[in-house]
Amino acid sequence: MASPATPRRRRPGRAAVLAALGTALLVLALAAASNGAMRIPFSRLPALMFGAGTGAEDALWRNVLLQVRLPRVLLAIVVGTGLAVSGAAMQALFRNPLAEPGLIGVSLGGALGAVAAIVLGAPGLAVIAPSAFAGSLAATLLAYRLGGRSTGVAGVLLAGVAINALCAAVIGLFTWQANDAQLRSLTFWNLGSLAAASWPLVAALAPWVAALSLLLLRDWRAMNALLLGEREAQHLGFALAALRRRLVVLVALLVGPLVAVTGTIGFVGLVVPHLVRLTLGADHRALLPASLLVGAIALTLADWLARIVAVPSEVPIGIITSLVGGPFLLWLLARRGTA
Amino acid sequence: MLQAANLACARGGRAVLQGVSLALRPGEVLGVLGANGAGKSTLLAALAGELAPASGAVQLDGRPLAQWSAQALARRRAVLPQAPALAFDLEVDEVVRMGAYPFAELAPGPLADLAEHALELADAAHLAGRRHASLSGGEQQRVQFARVLVQLLACRAEGEYRALLLDEPTASLDPRHQITLLRAVSRLARAHGVAALVVLHDVNLAAAWCDHIALLAGGRLVGLDAPASVLTAAHLRAVYGLDAHVLEHPEQPGQPLVLFCAPPG
Amino acid sequence: MTDRARMLRRRPLLALPLLTAALGAHAAAPAAPRRVVSLGGVVTEIVHALGADDRLVGVDQSSLHPPAARALPQVGYFRSFAVEGVLSLRPDLVLASDQAGPPHALQQLRAAGVAVVMVASAPEVPALEQSIDTVAAALALDADGLARARELRRQLDAATQPVAHASQPRVLILSSHTGRLQAAGEGSAPHALLTLAGGINAFTQPGYKAISAEAVAAARPDAILTSTLSIHAAGGVAAFAAQPGVAMTPAGRAQRVIVLDDLLLLGFGPRLPQALEQVRAGLFGAAAARPS
Repeated sequence: MASPATPRRRRPGRAAVLAALGTALLVLALAAASNGAMRIPFSRLPALMFGAGTGAEDALWRNVLLQVRLPRVLLAIVVGTGLAVSGAAMQALFRNPLAEPGLIGVSLGGALGAVAAIVLGAPGLAVIAPSAFAGSLAATLLAYRLGGRSTGVAGVLLAGVAINALCAAVIGLFTWQANDAQLRSLTFWNLGSLAAASWPLVAALAPWVAALSLLLLRDWRAMNALLLGEREAQHLGFALAALRRRLVVLVALLVGPLVAVTGTIGFVGLVVPHLVRLTLGADHRALLPASLLVGAIALTLADWLARIVAVPSEVPIGIITSLVGGPFLLWLLARRGTA
Repeated sequence: MLQAANLACARGGRAVLQGVSLALRPGEVLGVLGANGAGKSTLLAALAGELAPASGAVQLDGRPLAQWSAQALARRRAVLPQAPALAFDLEVDEVVRMGAYPFAELAPGPLADLAEHALELADAAHLAGRRHASLSGGEQQRVQFARVLVQLLACRAEGEYRALLLDEPTASLDPRHQITLLRAVSRLARAHGVAALVVLHDVNLAAAWCDHIALLAGGRLVGLDAPASVLTAAHLRAVYGLDAHVLEHPEQPGQPLVLFCAPPG
Repeated sequence: MTDRARMLRRRPLLALPLLTAALGAHAAAPAAPRRVVSLGGVVTEIVHALGADDRLVGVDQSSLHPPAARALPQVGYFRSFAVEGVLSLRPDLVLASDQAGPPHALQQLRAAGVAVVMVASAPEVPALEQSIDTVAAALALDADGLARARELRRQLDAATQPVAHASQPRVLILSSHTGRLQAAGEGSAPHALLTLAGGINAFTQPGYKAISAEAVAAARPDAILTSTLSIHAAGGVAAFAAQPGVAMTPAGRAQRVIVLDDLLLLGFGPRLPQALEQVRAGLFGAAAARPS
């Protein structure tokens, strides 16, 4: 007969949660912008932000605040948003909580492009970024083409695994050929960093990430339907082939430029959606926007830590996300079990 | 109306269905019976629009299914899968409301009412507020049935043709819930004019609840008629390879009761 | 006449880096810079050799010599340093190896009003001399400092005079930290060191590359040049010389292994005369090591 009823859990309303997350993000962003290797007195901050202050100290502080820190905090928000929402989409597409954008070849393809640029050409973001973007698009396209032959998403997954292996092998070749200086550049690119932040870069990336994220958010019903299985999603009116293609393309276009600019930042695309799902549930209507915000919060926090734990040096941000993300996920799983 | 005309389907190069013609009439429940591998699931897949016919046609309102967009099709027919699956855990209410996805114009208020009604019809009203993963297999099946009901009844104009396809829905249900589900399907057909096709294994369940039964053997229709006419010993031997006694049901006049005989040796 | 003018008359080369320093500095400090950040191990060594390390307020991760430099605030690896970290030290001068980066970070330093002077880093004697001059000019040294600079140049000139020898020994420059052998070839600092010392590199590929035991044996080096870290990892000179491949070489059989401190071997900086002395002693005997 009926199984014993488990107590109903009251879930806070979606709007309330998103508002709380948004506020947290704002507060965190302000805190992260106010704090760093350079000691800027808190009382001077409003004046500096709005242009007042004439001393030499003030000029330096303003420069650090507006030209060095603020673009970084904004870039952290943009990148964290993009990585997290892409991770959520990938987990819906593959119906697997271990999925993340790298599965379709985006990350390693981007790494291959960057490594090729470093070893064959001149290091420098102007060359590396376009090359990395091209690499991630090419790898994803190849994975999709090869995997799309078979029905179901498993084909794309397997093709992605194969493409990733191929990219890793070619990266190995380049690494073997690299000289000392290039090896160092390679290593740092692989560890990830937001140091390339500048106003032109943020101004270019922010609208791009915002637009593509909104497009992904629009597909929340389709992602929910996918949870029932691909056949049932089709029965509910979602054309599978078109949906699969749309999600893969959106994720590739979203993550490619991010990887190109920041190098490999791991864990955000995997842990953030998973975390949100464990606490807020799997309904994508809430999961997607919440992942956006939590991703931004996570990366802003990680970048802040990266900037202050080893002052005056900086820790590459990929290390922070892995060191913090991994154990955190384990702890969460131990407490609650899988969703 | 959803109908198949001289339908032939192949899977992996093998012909699985040949020369199948049938129609899902509004207000009627059509049962599909056959041995394992006879082509029942293939027939359902073809009628649902998942599988393209090798020859012949499946048409809805006179147009081949290939010409229908996935969304347009979803607004006219719903499919209850054999095994309920949910990749990540959701609440029962969330699952049931997914039935309204093809109908973006449905407002939250009427949707909530419809969802409640569907849960009652599926005898799953007491499961509202539970999490899908905490339910038994049978309970999950009933929740999915409620979802399918939402899809079937949402934004339905008076007299609009809607088709319901059920793939072995009673497989994980106990006898009481088997009857409840089939009774609900029957009521849907009678009261709302829905056309239903049910793939079943249990011959007697089909005899009790279906207006017509299609018998499949080796991919061909052996018979398509009212239960009393089509469930003959000869037909049953052709379909199942077993001898059977066909009796009159003690409680239901006119309804056959089939008793299979164990083969000798 | 001012010291500076006298210096300019005697060393025409100095005028060039002075000009570079003046052009490169976004806001040239009228007085000598007193808060200096050094990005690059060799740059720090030059500052130390010129006696100006009391002016250093920060260094990069690769600045390991002199040992006192390790106690200074560290702003990251010079190829990828932390901009805000450097700025928080309030430098009035940043001396950066020309390999320092990323370029965007150097731009941000300049935009914040810090004088940034690039220092040549190629492992060649003219480049080294130029970098000494660049640093000396950027630091606006007093008479003592300038005297040290001159002495440094003199030592370098003397040590790098080509010396004729009866033979040019074949040498392999090897490192082996993790059990895998690597050799250094053309373009690397140890190669330049070896060539200046009068040896021939038996390894013909450029840069640092993995080398198999077989290739080591086939190269038949008369001597092997390596670092203390590799000797430690092997467990002593005897154990190093007994490694497969190495053991079959003339160098291995005679245990003719020249061991230099890692920083000395891999850097091409003001301690070059010391390094040359050690290598020459190892190749030709103690008497041949001293410059004439």
